Amino acid sequence: MTDRVWGILVDSFPKILLPGLRMTIPLTVIAFALAMVIATVVALIQFAHVKVLTPLARFYIWVIRGTPLLVQLFVVFYGLPNLGVYLDAFPAAVLVFSINEGAYCAETMRGALESVSVGQIEAGYCVGMSYTQIMWRIVLPQALRTAFPPLSNSLISMVKDTSLAANITVMEMFMATQRIVARTYEPLALYLEVALIYLLFSTAMTALQRWGEKKLTVGGALHA
Amino acid sequence: MLDIRHLKKTYENTPVLKDISLHVNKGDVTAVIGPSGSGKTTLLRCVNFLTPADSGELTFGGRTYDLSRMSKKDIAAIRMNTGFVFQSFNLFANKTALQNVTEGLIIARHMPKDEANSIATQALERVGLKDRASHYPSQLSGGQQQRVAIARAVATNPQIIYFDEPTSALDPELIGEVLAVMKDLASSGMTMLVVTHEMRFARDVSSRVIFMEDGNIVEENDSRAFFEAPRQERTRRFLRTIDRSAI
Repeated sequence: MTDRVWGILVDSFPKILLPGLRMTIPLTVIAFALAMVIATVVALIQFAHVKVLTPLARFYIWVIRGTPLLVQLFVVFYGLPNLGVYLDAFPAAVLVFSINEGAYCAETMRGALESVSVGQIEAGYCVGMSYTQIMWRIVLPQALRTAFPPLSNSLISMVKDTSLAANITVMEMFMATQRIVARTYEPLALYLEVALIYLLFSTAMTALQRWGEKKLTVGGALHA
Repeated sequence: MLDIRHLKKTYENTPVLKDISLHVNKGDVTAVIGPSGSGKTTLLRCVNFLTPADSGELTFGGRTYDLSRMSKKDIAAIRMNTGFVFQSFNLFANKTALQNVTEGLIIARHMPKDEANSIATQALERVGLKDRASHYPSQLSGGQQQRVAIARAVATNPQIIYFDEPTSALDPELIGEVLAVMKDLASSGMTMLVVTHEMRFARDVSSRVIFMEDGNIVEENDSRAFFEAPRQERTRRFLRTIDRSAI
C-alpha cells in the first residue's frame, strides 16, 4: 500500500468515526429503545389476546416484515411530503428504524413471553396477584432474559442497517465514507476502513451482550 | 366452611364433572382419589377458578356464589383466603425461595417487607428449608421445590389449601419429605383438599376420602370406613386393583 493511501486512511479515520459517534450510534440507540417499547406493547397485546388490538398487531407485523426497509425509508422521507408531511432526515430515520425493528422484536418478545410456563401465571393468581402484577414481576423479567440473545442479534443487525439511512441524506458513517471516496478515488481502502469501524461497533455490542447476559442470569440457570 | 353444589363442567361436548356436590368442614383433610380422567384435578381447578365451571354453587367464607357468574372481584377475594399447591410446583423461576413466599404477601397483600420476610422465614423453617431461602428454584430438588410451594401457600394464612397431585411429579425417594410436611400441616388443623394417588396418605393422614370416577363422586366416606368397609361395589373393585403393598 502506498504512502498516499495510508495518508488518506489515517486522515479519514476521524472523519468517518465522528459521524459514527454522532449519527450511527445515537440513531441506533434511540431507534432501538423505541423499538423495544413498541415490541413489548405489541407482544403483550398478542399474549393477552386483547380484542381488536390483536389483529391490528398482526397486521402491523405483516406489513412491516413484508416490505423492504429501504422502501420504508423512501416512503417516509421522499413520499410523505406528497401528503404535506415533511420530516427531517434524522427523525425520519428514527421513525422508520424503530417501527421496522419493533415488528421483528415483537415476535421475539412474544415467543419469549410464551416460553414462560402457564403454571407460574396460575401460581401467581393463586397467591392473590393480579394479571398486571404477574406480568410485570414474574413473566416479563423471565421473558426478557430469554429474549436477550435474539434481541442482541437485532441490535447488532441494526447498527449495520443504519448505513441505509445514507439514502435519505442522514450524514452517518457510510455517507461520510462515500464522500471521501468521491474526493480521493480510493474505494477499496476506504470501504474496508468503514467496514472495520462497523466491526468495531459490533464487537463492542457483543461484549455488552455477554455482560448483560451474565447480569440477567439468576441461580446459574434460566428456568426451573 | 366449603360447600360445593351441583358443579358441572363440560370440555367440548365431553362432560368432565357431572353434578358434583361436596362439603368440607373446618379442619377436614379430604383426599380425592380415583382413576385418571375421573375429573379430580378439574374439580380442584374449578373450585379455585383456574378453570371456569359451567354451573354450580360455591359457599365459602360465609358467602354463596353462582359459579357460572363469577366476577373478577369475587374470584380475587376468594383466592386471598385459599392456597393452591400444584403437581409441577410452579415456583416463580426468577425469584428465590424466600421471594416465592413473600411475593403473595408483599405484592398481593401489601404487607411491609420486614413482616413478610419474617413470616416467610417461619414458613420455610416449617418445611425444613430455612437454609435454602436464598436459593432459586433451579437450584432445588423437586421435593424441595414442592416444600417451598407448600410454604408459599401456608404463609398467606389461608382457610383451606388445595393440593393437586402434589407428589406425582416427584422421584420416589423425594415423595416422603413432601408427605411428611403435609402430614405435619394436617395435624396442625389446616383444612386441606388433596387430589392424590398416594393411598397411604389417603388412609393414614386424611380424615375423609372422596372416590371419583367418570365425573361423578362414587363414594364419600370417613377414610377408615372407606378403606375397611367401603359401601360401593365400585370402590371395592378399585381398592382390589391398586397395589395392596402401597396401602
